Amino acid sequence: MSGKVRARFKLNGEDVTAEMEPNQTLCDYLHDVAEKTGVKKGCDTGECGACTVLMDDKPVTSCLVLAPQVDGREVVTVEGLGTKSRPSPVQWAFVELDAVQCGYCIPGMIVTLSWILEHAPQASDSEVRRLMSGNLCRCTGYLQQVEAVRRAAKRAAAGGAPEPHDIY
Amino acid sequence: MRPFQYLAPFPSFRYLAPKSVGELLDSLEVGGEGSVVIAGGTDLMMALKERTTTPDAVIDISRLGRELGGIRKGGGALRIGALTTFAEIEASQLVDRFAEALKTAAANVGTLQIRNLATIGGNLATASPAGDSAPPLIALGARVKILSRSGERTVPVESFFRGVKKNALLRGEVVAEVALPAREGVSSAWARGAVRNENALSTVSVAVSASIANGRFGESRVALGAVAPTPMLAEKSSKLMTEGDATAEKAEEVAALAAEEARPITDIRASAAYRKRLVFVLTRRLIAGLLSEAGAA
Ligand SMILES: Cc1cc2nc3c(=O)[nH]c(=O)nc-3n(C[C@@H](O)[C@@H](O)[C@H](O)COP(=O)(O)OP(=O)(O)OC[C@H]3O[C@@H](n4cnc5c(N)ncnc54)[C@H](O)[C@@H]3O)c2cc1C
Ligand code: FES
Ligand code: FES
Repeated sequence: MSGKVRARFKLNGEDVTAEMEPNQTLCDYLHDVAEKTGVKKGCDTGECGACTVLMDDKPVTSCLVLAPQVDGREVVTVEGLGTKSRPSPVQWAFVELDAVQCGYCIPGMIVTLSWILEHAPQASDSEVRRLMSGNLCRCTGYLQQVEAVRRAAKRAAAGGAPEPHDIY
Repeated sequence: MRPFQYLAPFPSFRYLAPKSVGELLDSLEVGGEGSVVIAGGTDLMMALKERTTTPDAVIDISRLGRELGGIRKGGGALRIGALTTFAEIEASQLVDRFAEALKTAAANVGTLQIRNLATIGGNLATASPAGDSAPPLIALGARVKILSRSGERTVPVESFFRGVKKNALLRGEVVAEVALPAREGVSSAWARGAVRNENALSTVSVAVSASIANGRFGESRVALGAVAPTPMLAEKSSKLMTEGDATAEKAEEVAALAAEEARPITDIRASAAYRKRLVFVLTRRLIAGLLSEAGAA
């Protein structure tokens, strides 16, 4: 009685037409079917933010979205923000500031912080912390991540991103 | 606590995505008991994962924002479509102007990611005793507009809740909108106690609305969340405050009566006695805030 459902959407800038099982989360679909493995499943309850993606340019927890709800929408995962040789401004600042320990929370964190950089670059530290409260990190203590947004914002204000490097 | 079983995929169901409210109402009528609607999904996805809801059909209303979303002023009322997210409410100038308590509550719901998904219609329909949109809406005298194939009806928000997780919707009905009187000169405020500042369900929440003129309160309402099986209007406190002296002493009396009216339970978040104390402290603080805003104390 179920049956696959057709969804057309944009994934990291590309048009996708997919036949998908409706009874799965967007998180599982993106990770297991679309192979965007930067989308992590931490809690599966909307608390940790590891599964954060942009849907229509807004950070959402993909573990609380029913996969076919993406029909007609635009989804960006961490893979759509930058690459190894062309890291996004927030990714670059994370590398410079050693803002990563185990790394599990980082893709979701980068998605949220990139949104903050674009939409609230002037936010105070406490506002940044409020906006990132949906991204839990068990390792770092958040200091470097807040600093990373600051640094990326300063750099943007001073005339843009660093030259693309191969960061490895 | 109940052991969770997040076995994915969850049990299968039919997925329907009506293209208009008309189609939605038809699907609801045909679907009957075995179908549920999904808006932001922040509650429903958890119910599917926990198997507390095992529907035959899930009807996706999340793309009906053109008909069921948006915030506007019309007919002397501030109208907020059921699909409006808390992020949209937090950012709305109209809400800021006519429903400050609701704006503050919206900004405190969950996290950025949750506020981008969670809708006000879903928050009401879930009928959680701790739902944060209800006390501000009750304090502001809001009504829920309900639609079905047989027409439209409205109920005051405080009568929309029928028990823990029980709402007044009948088969075939959806929440279309909430509307509250858009009156100049009415101020409102909301506060809550919670175990931490961010992403915590309210242990207790309180909303107050009043106008203040010539040293007196005009029509005033006090509403409480997480202290009874449903969000509630504190009727006696509201009555005591209305037409009362706009003074700190009156604020204290109203707060004490609100604590008496609260019927909290002891659970993992707090004891009943602590919740009553919180009702008192928060109510007094909110009324004091309205007084100082009005330059009355
Ligand atoms: C991590 C997390 C933190 C949270 N924090 C808070 C918080 O601080 N405060 C708070 O109040 N809530 C909080 N919530 C719950 C909050 O997100 C939900 O109550 C939300 O508002 C529900 O809206 P939705 O659009 O996601 O509903 P859905 O999950 O889509 O639906 C919820 C229920 O309402 C029904 N429904 C939805 N829309 C309609 C409609 N228009 N007509 C009829 N029925 C409808 C659905 O069938 C379902 O039964 C939190 C949730 C999570 C996961
Ligand atoms: S996996 Fe989605 S919020 Fe944790
Ligand atoms: S780096 Fe380990 S959880 Fe954040």
